[in-house]
Amino acid sequence: MSPVDPRFHQALDGDIAREGVPPEVRRAMERLDAAAALLAVVPTGASVEARVMAEIRRPVPSRARRLVRWLATPHAIRLRVRPAWSLALAAVAALLTLLSEGDIEPELGGQEGIAQFVGRFPGARSVHVVGSFNDWRAGTIPLEDRDHDGVWRGAVVLPVGAYEYMFVVDGERWVPDHLADRSVDDDFGRENSIVIVRAAGR
Amino acid sequence: MDVRGDPSDPEVVARVLGGDQEAFGLIIRRYEADLLRFAAGMLGSRDAAEDAVAESLVRAYRHLGGLNAPARLRTWLYRIVANRCKSHLARRPARELSLDEAPPVADPADTEASLERAEQVALVQRALAELSPEKREAFVLKHVEGLSYQEMAAVTGERIPTLKMRVHRAREALLQALEDA
Amino acid sequence: MRLGRALALLALPVAAAAQSLRDDRLAERLPAAAIPAVDSLVQQARAERLPTEPLVQKALEGGAKRVAAERIVVAVQRSLTQLRDARALLARAGDAPPATAAEVTGVSAALKRGVPAPVVEQVVAALPSQPRGSALHAVADLVTHGFQPDSSAALILEAARDGLRGERLLDVSTAALHEVQRGHTRAEALALVRARLPDVPAAPKPARASVVRARRPSEPPHEP
Repeated sequence: MSPVDPRFHQALDGDIAREGVPPEVRRAMERLDAAAALLAVVPTGASVEARVMAEIRRPVPSRARRLVRWLATPHAIRLRVRPAWSLALAAVAALLTLLSEGDIEPELGGQEGIAQFVGRFPGARSVHVVGSFNDWRAGTIPLEDRDHDGVWRGAVVLPVGAYEYMFVVDGERWVPDHLADRSVDDDFGRENSIVIVRAAGR
Repeated sequence: MDVRGDPSDPEVVARVLGGDQEAFGLIIRRYEADLLRFAAGMLGSRDAAEDAVAESLVRAYRHLGGLNAPARLRTWLYRIVANRCKSHLARRPARELSLDEAPPVADPADTEASLERAEQVALVQRALAELSPEKREAFVLKHVEGLSYQEMAAVTGERIPTLKMRVHRAREALLQALEDA
Repeated sequence: MRLGRALALLALPVAAAAQSLRDDRLAERLPAAAIPAVDSLVQQARAERLPTEPLVQKALEGGAKRVAAERIVVAVQRSLTQLRDARALLARAGDAPPATAAEVTGVSAALKRGVPAPVVEQVVAALPSQPRGSALHAVADLVTHGFQPDSSAALILEAARDGLRGERLLDVSTAALHEVQRGHTRAEALALVRARLPDVPAAPKPARASVVRARRPSEPPHEP
């Protein structure tokens, strides 16, 4: 679809000279340039340098503290090996776990928090959360049932604010969150749940 | 070193990777204005832009070792900020869903000219906010940040014909929106 | 060149573009029959300087839930009416225009959750120089659990006078709800929490296991 004079784009892309285009095309180019010029002013405010450098300078947890954290967290490791090797393997596993970047906490901005979702859907093949935080797009936020006990959980980093949502079970069944404290009529004959995300740094 | 005596990007990157943490401040000072302007164009607010750029720069520091071509630091930084902005946008397309926002307080120091200008900026920001994140990114990178299509390809990972199509559609949509305002 | 003058210039011949949507998301996600009416409602909101995002979200929600086109249009129309009512309420409560999008959507949300308009107006009027979103949700939390609207507002406003701000006001309503769960009547719950102000427990932070697993809705795959 391009009912626009193609010279409009060609001139703006520098493929042809601006001088050669008809007056109405040149006027439209000028309007666009004017809009872009308004955006080209750097918004005034404080530099982010101090904030970034403070974060960079924050000490990373020492290996010892990370080891303690690892030991305190349950890990399912089942190996059948000769007893003589098992200790060495456990040590290697511990080292690899420390070195791996598998479970990294997300870096939260100042106005972000975590929304936690949990629902009981035994027998479900999939459970997703769908709401105003993802444009009601199904399939983008899956919950997990790691223990296969029918309890599905998930946590999402979101900007601070209030959001309406529902669960979608097996890609087709829309269900409100019965554990949610807040709900509202969805104007379509159903009920949306409401989650209020609070700043994580409080 | 370039002719002015400032260390080049590869030199600064080498210093940071060599353990000179404070040298990263050079990179921040060199690029934060451009990155803030870009993020503000994407997100429509100075506050959101500051958050996105600060998060991006911390991430850039932590992943600096993964930068294959230190001479391309600029496009690499733009890429991180673009991704961060699109994450923000995917979560919440507009600020209007925020729970608490200070009610407007008229500043007696505002002149009529600066108020009118602020209104014009708001008009353009609103028009920009109606574009999809990909088209908004393409327009801002091309027309505000002044990147070439090659640089835009490095930032976005998209092919140049795709980027041209997005820029063309963004231009038309923006003109239409401004005209209807 | 000044944008003001630029806007007065003749339009480009973009006949087909005139029918194109301002918001790509609607074109991609709504049944075709709903698009013209929804787009028109969004443009009306824009023309009235009301927030458009709540309308777009309601339309996207309808599309996602596979609701019939005409019901989507009705729902979006209702949302527009609610936003107009919310802005009118802010004006009656004494707010000088223009109302911000956050204020309009905050008041609209409280009304939708069942807080009577006079009570919303009372809360807004009592907090002229603060954001009201959290306060209104806190009142709604109590009202939706059977507390009298006036008493609910009174408790939250008293907490605000005692210095609690923003999200901490949600902790006040939570505290009152917990007292009811412990077996107190609603009147007793309000009195107990009032007596404790401003010391109400803060909401617990998420467990670390949740925090570590938390992800953003769409983390771009090629992020370095």
